[in-house]
Amino acid sequence: MEKPIITFARWGNYTVAFKTLFEQLGLEVIPPEKTTSQVIAEGARMAPEMFCFPMKVTLGNYLPALKKGANTIFMVQNVGGSCRQRYYGVIQEKVLKENGHQINFLDFRATPKDIYRTIKEVSGASFWQILKAALFFFKKLRLIEKIEKTAQYCRPRELEKGATDRLLSDFFSKLEKINKEKDFSNFKKDALRKLKGIKIEKKADLPKVGLIGEIYTVCDPTINFEVERKLGLERIEVHREMDITYHLKKIIFPWKDWVIQRKINPYLRSTVGGHGRDAIYEILHYIKEDFDGIIHLLPMACMPEITVRPILEKIHQESGIPFLSLSLDEQVAEAGIDTRLEAFIDVVKGYYQNKKS
Amino acid sequence: MKTYLGIDVGSISTKFVLIDEENRILSVSYFRTEGNPIEAIKKGLKELESHNSKHNPDIEIVGVGTTGSARYLAGVITGADLIKNEISAHAKGVIHSFPEARTVIEIGGQDSKVIILENSVVVDFAMNLICAAGTGSFLDAQAFRMGVPIEQFGEIALKSKSPTVVSSRCTVFCESDMIHKQQIGHSREDIIAGLCQGLARNFLNNVAKGKNIKPPIVFLGGVSENLGMRKAFADVLGEKVIVPEHNTVMGALGAALLVKKNPAGKTKIRGF
Repeated sequence: MEKPIITFARWGNYTVAFKTLFEQLGLEVIPPEKTTSQVIAEGARMAPEMFCFPMKVTLGNYLPALKKGANTIFMVQNVGGSCRQRYYGVIQEKVLKENGHQINFLDFRATPKDIYRTIKEVSGASFWQILKAALFFFKKLRLIEKIEKTAQYCRPRELEKGATDRLLSDFFSKLEKINKEKDFSNFKKDALRKLKGIKIEKKADLPKVGLIGEIYTVCDPTINFEVERKLGLERIEVHREMDITYHLKKIIFPWKDWVIQRKINPYLRSTVGGHGRDAIYEILHYIKEDFDGIIHLLPMACMPEITVRPILEKIHQESGIPFLSLSLDEQVAEAGIDTRLEAFIDVVKGYYQNKKS
Repeated sequence: MKTYLGIDVGSISTKFVLIDEENRILSVSYFRTEGNPIEAIKKGLKELESHNSKHNPDIEIVGVGTTGSARYLAGVITGADLIKNEISAHAKGVIHSFPEARTVIEIGGQDSKVIILENSVVVDFAMNLICAAGTGSFLDAQAFRMGVPIEQFGEIALKSKSPTVVSSRCTVFCESDMIHKQQIGHSREDIIAGLCQGLARNFLNNVAKGKNIKPPIVFLGGVSENLGMRKAFADVLGEKVIVPEHNTVMGALGAALLVKKNPAGKTKIRGF
């Protein structure tokens, strides 16, 4: 068998951590292409029309990497529980092969056993090596999530516009190259110090908006037209619970689902797949925390999120909290999203002012 | 005299409204964008200048606000002090001229929106996402196809006694269904009235779905000029539909009011 050259599904800022994971295992990696309108168009052209948007985008992300010589694709199944995400791998493999790509498609389930077996098979690494790589991956992932969270706090408060985002893009490009434990801890110290150094208005009391919805769309700024950044620059603090750690925690501690179910019982009494229940749980949580708005993001035709959308609408009407649901796919124009966001920002600010007076 | 200018550049039409310090409307203009927003803005400014020099030579414009889908372009060209999205601008216009309103239905050339107001504050809104059925350009196209001037479209619709049911989920199928109904001999009035009702239904099912629509309901935008659509909305909603004065230029009025409320100190306007 020829030497495997890995590429994988791109996922926002977390892509960097995945790249490191494979490198630590001694594998050659060509990271998936950044998401651009061209990548989306290429993916959508190849994919079945009625399938979920993330499947089309990740497919588009592989293509340039495959051109550069990647021959093995990693795709995890079952990220969001039972929804069509399970079939991404199968369909992508079929579509790519039909389009003449000679690839080894590794489609595995998100269970520790299956992940370990797949990695072991392709890399031939020892147990300790895999464990070490995994730990390093988690360290990087945690740092990325921490940087994102800090940015959500700093961005609306920064005194010099754009300072946070400049730091962020610098961090992520540097972080990609770090492969040694020692370099990483130095980088971490430096990054956290720099983030603390951003000049902010400490006392600013700002309106808060919660971002809920489908995990991939919510986490990847290149897909959601940088909703977080746009709101931040309009001096709105954004919160989002959904990230990889949140999802992994739910796999490791399955009773979290039970806790969520108990909290949403008045609205929904069963699972609807994906993170449908979580969206209801989050909106209720944010209302309790006295937030000033909720943005619900979903890829077009995302079954779990569409199922819960009317429930979210109902909660919004009962509580009066401003609510905006945006459904995204390759057909959506940024101008249309911007108009809605701008109007929503006005609504949120009006709601916030009203509450204060 | 200090005045404020609101400009609303939409996909189909461009609107100018000039107000004074007391929020009185001094001049209103409304014309087609004809696919060239830059020319349309130039034309509007020229018209305004000649109108002003004839009637109120002592006018000084101290603020410009732009809105509509070409708001950023219009903002750059005129040196606007405020660039506002069309939802907030329309809401502002309605709150000023009709403060009791609870629901605003606005249908323009290519988009349609619903705005829910409570105590003169926007609490909810929605815009058409996937479908242009019911907007001005579709009505325009259908009027042209049926050989009826768009200005008379509404009057003809009102003549109908039993409107034909026209499928309205999709513009293309709507058109083929209309052709079919023509071929089996439905009268022109009935089909046009049926089309209006279909479009009102489509709006309520797609755009205003799940929104809390309460009277008084205000109907704005180019399509609100259409008597048939006014009646169709009143029928489908079972409520009175109010079309206030300045219904087609409410966005521009709102932009002017907003720029007056947030004066920029020294205006950036480039002049005529």
